[in-house]
Amino acid sequence: MQTNFTPEQLADPHVAESESILRKCVHCGFCTATCPTYVTLGNELDSPRGRIYLIKDMLENSRPADEEVVTHIDRCLSCLACVTTCPSGVDYMHLVDHARVHIEKTYRRPLKDRLARVVLAAVLPYPGRFRLALKAARLGRPLAGLMKRLPFLKTFGIMLDLAPARLAPGSAALMPGTHAATAPKRGRVALLTGCAQPVLRPEINAATVRLLTRLGVEVVLPAGEGCCGALVHHMGREEQALEAARRNVDVWTRAADEGGLDAIIITASGCGTTIKDYGHMLRLDPAYAEKAARVSALAKDVTEYLAGLDLPRREAMNRTVAYHSACSMQHGQKITLAPKILLKNAGFTVRDPAEGHLCCGSAGTYNILQPEISATLKARKVGNIEATRAEIIATGNIGCITQIATGTAIPILHTVELLDWAYGGVCPQELETAGMAQ
Amino acid sequence: MSSPFEPETEAEIADIVRAAAEAGTALAIMGGATRSGFGNRVAAQQPLTTRNLSGITSYNPAEMTMSAKAGTPMAEIEAALLENRQMLAFEPIDHRGIMGTSGEPTIGGVFAANVSGPRRLTAGAARDHLLGIRFVNGMGEVIRSGGRVMKNVTGLDLVKLLCGSHGTLGILTEVTFKVLPLPPASATVVVFGFDDAQAAGAMAHALALPVEVSGAAHLTESVRYRFIGSSHPEGAATVLRLEGLAASVSVRAEKLRSAFSAVAPVALLDRKATETLWRDIRDVKPYADGTQKPLWRVSVTPTMGHQLVAALRLAAGVDAFYDWQGGLVWLRMEADAEGDMLRRYIKGLGGGHATLIRASDAVRAATPAFEPEAPGIASLSARIKEKLDPKGIFNPGKMG
Amino acid sequence: MPETIAFQEPKRSVLARRDAIVEDLADLLPPGCLISEKRGLVPFETDAFIAYRQVPLAVALPETTAQVAAVLKYCSRYGIPVVPRGAGTSLSGGAIPQADAVVIGLSKMSRILDIDLANRAAIVQAGVTNINISEAVSANGFFYAPDPSSQLACTIGGNIGMNSGGAHCLKYGVTTNNLLGVKLVLFDGTVIDLGGKALDAAGYDLLGLVCGSEGQLGIVTEATVRLIARPEGARPVLFGFPSSEEAGACVAEVIGSGIIPVAIEFMDKPAIAICEAFAQAGYPMDVEALLIVEVEGSEAEMEAMLASIIEIAGRHGVSTIRESQSATEAALIWKGRKSAFGATGRIADYICMDGTVPLSQLSHVLKRTGEIVAGYGLRVANVFHAGDGNMHPLILYNINDPEDAARAEAAGNDILRLCVDAGGCLTGEHGVGIEKRDLMLHQFSQIDLNQQMAVRAAFDPHWIMNPSKVFPLEGRPAA
Repeated sequence: MQTNFTPEQLADPHVAESESILRKCVHCGFCTATCPTYVTLGNELDSPRGRIYLIKDMLENSRPADEEVVTHIDRCLSCLACVTTCPSGVDYMHLVDHARVHIEKTYRRPLKDRLARVVLAAVLPYPGRFRLALKAARLGRPLAGLMKRLPFLKTFGIMLDLAPARLAPGSAALMPGTHAATAPKRGRVALLTGCAQPVLRPEINAATVRLLTRLGVEVVLPAGEGCCGALVHHMGREEQALEAARRNVDVWTRAADEGGLDAIIITASGCGTTIKDYGHMLRLDPAYAEKAARVSALAKDVTEYLAGLDLPRREAMNRTVAYHSACSMQHGQKITLAPKILLKNAGFTVRDPAEGHLCCGSAGTYNILQPEISATLKARKVGNIEATRAEIIATGNIGCITQIATGTAIPILHTVELLDWAYGGVCPQELETAGMAQ
Repeated sequence: MSSPFEPETEAEIADIVRAAAEAGTALAIMGGATRSGFGNRVAAQQPLTTRNLSGITSYNPAEMTMSAKAGTPMAEIEAALLENRQMLAFEPIDHRGIMGTSGEPTIGGVFAANVSGPRRLTAGAARDHLLGIRFVNGMGEVIRSGGRVMKNVTGLDLVKLLCGSHGTLGILTEVTFKVLPLPPASATVVVFGFDDAQAAGAMAHALALPVEVSGAAHLTESVRYRFIGSSHPEGAATVLRLEGLAASVSVRAEKLRSAFSAVAPVALLDRKATETLWRDIRDVKPYADGTQKPLWRVSVTPTMGHQLVAALRLAAGVDAFYDWQGGLVWLRMEADAEGDMLRRYIKGLGGGHATLIRASDAVRAATPAFEPEAPGIASLSARIKEKLDPKGIFNPGKMG
Repeated sequence: MPETIAFQEPKRSVLARRDAIVEDLADLLPPGCLISEKRGLVPFETDAFIAYRQVPLAVALPETTAQVAAVLKYCSRYGIPVVPRGAGTSLSGGAIPQADAVVIGLSKMSRILDIDLANRAAIVQAGVTNINISEAVSANGFFYAPDPSSQLACTIGGNIGMNSGGAHCLKYGVTTNNLLGVKLVLFDGTVIDLGGKALDAAGYDLLGLVCGSEGQLGIVTEATVRLIARPEGARPVLFGFPSSEEAGACVAEVIGSGIIPVAIEFMDKPAIAICEAFAQAGYPMDVEALLIVEVEGSEAEMEAMLASIIEIAGRHGVSTIRESQSATEAALIWKGRKSAFGATGRIADYICMDGTVPLSQLSHVLKRTGEIVAGYGLRVANVFHAGDGNMHPLILYNINDPEDAARAEAAGNDILRLCVDAGGCLTGEHGVGIEKRDLMLHQFSQIDLNQQMAVRAAFDPHWIMNPSKVFPLEGRPAA
């Protein structure tokens, strides 16, 4: 599409990049069809094409963000379904990233929104704080209903609702260190411990370590590694995100230099998408550009890595699994077949829910910041999943697990937990409770 | 009635119309007059026939299009097509039998009345095959619409508007239409003994199968002997036509036969019998009876057809059979036309329309031939008529 | 931006009352269904014909037919122009607003109301996407046949507005052949029902007139469409040729021989490269022209048809023949083809032509098209529905360069005139819109157009419905 930037504007590399992204859009409108918010709200301003226009208008005029623009950009889930759909190759991800940074820099949100965002950014990326907050939340849960009725506290009421009733003990999380292969060694990987996931569901990384070490892969959990930065990145808090990225790049670079790394394994696809983008995020930082690109190249989703290990085919186990592909998995990382093939080879019967391209509404902190749209999408997702009549739901992202679990009685697990079980690990507790252990 | 105008050129027609518009002379427009009994009585003393405006003007078989002047006899068109193994896929009805008329039906008449036969169910109606027209409007202007290519959305689609307007909006002078290859093979699967309701279900089932049924009719017990004689099992006959490549037709016929053979006697008709049967269905053979008994053509939602007939049978002497999967009902009333009752029942069943095709003059005078339109649509139609024929000189009264 | 196509002069009386109009419209619509702030209006300034843009006065997004009627009634009372919009995927600018217009977007009316398999009909709201209809009935073995390449996004309301076609229309016909009925809101808010589930309706064929009327006769809010049983099998086959002329001649001979495949699609070398870059469908990259021929039916039928087509292709020097081996492969082949226009965005801006020519003229027009575009110093990619002669030359240019844009437009006009002169027409399936409006007199006489405009006036006496489109601004009847 036509753009209108001055040479001075284009001197800013971020603007220059956005301009070249905008130039690829031919306004064909295909993206509207697979956009969860357009499908839900039926307003083009809540579609990628509408947002691209709003962003273009804002950037071309070097204008501070205003309420209209912020409303519609905030509603974007960053699910990237549009990127999969777009025939022209419009890099919407980096365009909306740029817009979010611009918003964060130029727009002053109402106090209650600022407060909510400050709290989220200060708590979620830090496992210790997050665990404490969740404990407090359990005590505060009776207040949730009241808080949701008060506009100022609504967001916090929603947070209370989402906090799990059961919380794994702190010790269940894995500590930094090296887990040696228990079979002839065939590789060495680092595992991202993560931030929210080990607090909410430590079983995922535990299963990953068990499965990988049994397969002969040494797993390193380097000390000093932390949140990947995705949460703050999607809030437009660029400096905080880059800080997280640099810290992790340093840690993994050291781990790679010390003992060699075949991959950096990520078990939350939301994090994977961001880490694979470190190379781009730090491209303008001469001290980090090269290192970050190396880290991004090493980053692999756990299923992506497992697909290369040639796992043996298991006998059918007469269990049907609905595979829910997280947006960050299918659209962000374009990993679509590997998890399903792994599950099939492990003996599960795999079903694809209808409208698999649509987001479940989790999307990082989206279910907290945009609860109405999120709830609509959750109901639609759960409906499609339940229509498959599967016994188990598998997915590759903790956000989806938390979101979908609040909408259905079907147990939902990380793909790697099912694989660990099928290949001689432990049966996930949810399945044991449901009488599915064999 | 004055002696008819028989113009030989489009320009002549335009002259006549201009003069008639000026003088306020109403014209009764016709082609071969084999269908001139259609519709309500025309309040015009001066006939105008296009039959001398005749001849195929262009035919390119490889492009599947033909152009012909409006008065070209159907026989001439069909002969030219047959020579190239092509056809009019919408199977226009020859109305001479049921109307008791003689003479030559014309291609202009076919499109002016949007005449379509059994294959309309899957291949579309006459209006779906008409690509372009030339016509003279009520001011005596020559208008072109459409063209001679298969896909054309340039401008307002006056082609559709004129098709089926029974000469009330303009006088067609030349038509360009799509022609299709003749299917190399055909067959008919006949299922015996279904009542009307069962037949409706069976036809819906057949059309849901991936076998490309190209005709689905139910010949009720009272008429089936007029179609397929008595050498077959007894009872009504539900007939399903298949067309295409020979190998494929036989495979599909087998599939269709096995879909019904467990529940009813089934027979298979060969190509020759198939051609005869569907021509007879097309031309409504049982009711080409030389009488003036009121004959209705009823178009409804396919699964409603049999309900309508069942209701009518309780109240009047009626004979009926079905085409178009049950959505086209040919109804012959034994005595009165019963138009009000019929139209009330149709409305009660969710809509559709009934056209009185044939009746005695007395009945026709008392019964609107076409379904009365809803008020919003009627006023729209009147405004359209006013835009094409402001003086109201074309077939006044014919469409109501 | 080239200013060669003018919008209708905005009514000053309407612009002056802007605030009052917005206030009144807000009373007629539920919260969240009216856009009136400048920022929010800009994204509605165009559709997929991006060469022209105009920000509207307001955008209404009604949720019911009654709301559409209320807005129309209001607008007609004050003479406010109205521009209907489905998904905004028009390639001819059919949904481009004008400064004094209220856009009525149907995107919130996206429910499927009734699926009646026994009668093979579905009733859907106008904002339902084309592909959603087929998806809703696919498990039962049915589909809705017209398949414009934008079927993923475009709405049935927009399809009716433009009488859209698609690749598979060679066998199944275009929208008008698959439409049974509509609920139509007239300019003054009157709601009428045309047609229904029966195969024909009484009276004049108003349904046929409305289909393809580009939103000028009323706004369709619901449609009853015909469903068709899906064939047993379908198989797209790729035929590569050493020249476009030979591919074109092959198409003509296939059709002439009495074989009608479901689809015959043509791509030249630049188009192949564009589509392959997006879809990775495995198109042969070493050929000058490619035909995607799809046959369907039983295995025996597909085999028999393919054998005949392969024999004909052999006579025209076919160099590559590749049959799709799986449903996934077939889907990729179509995905590449159907994304062709959008994928062009990877290399350049484009305008897409839509002329149709008689098959015998195909090779000639292809050759001349190349010469015309080269004459303007531009590049062209050809990807189109060859079986029915509906051509889509994509003229590649740089929209940021006004001279380039003017050249592209001039080349496009030359190509469309060429199509008409070859016995064809300006537009086969995209509609006249604003793009081809000023070429109408190349195809029609003023008398022809006068008659069309008179009929149009029977529906919209004051010309408030999408008034800048279809008919040249000069020569219109005085309001």
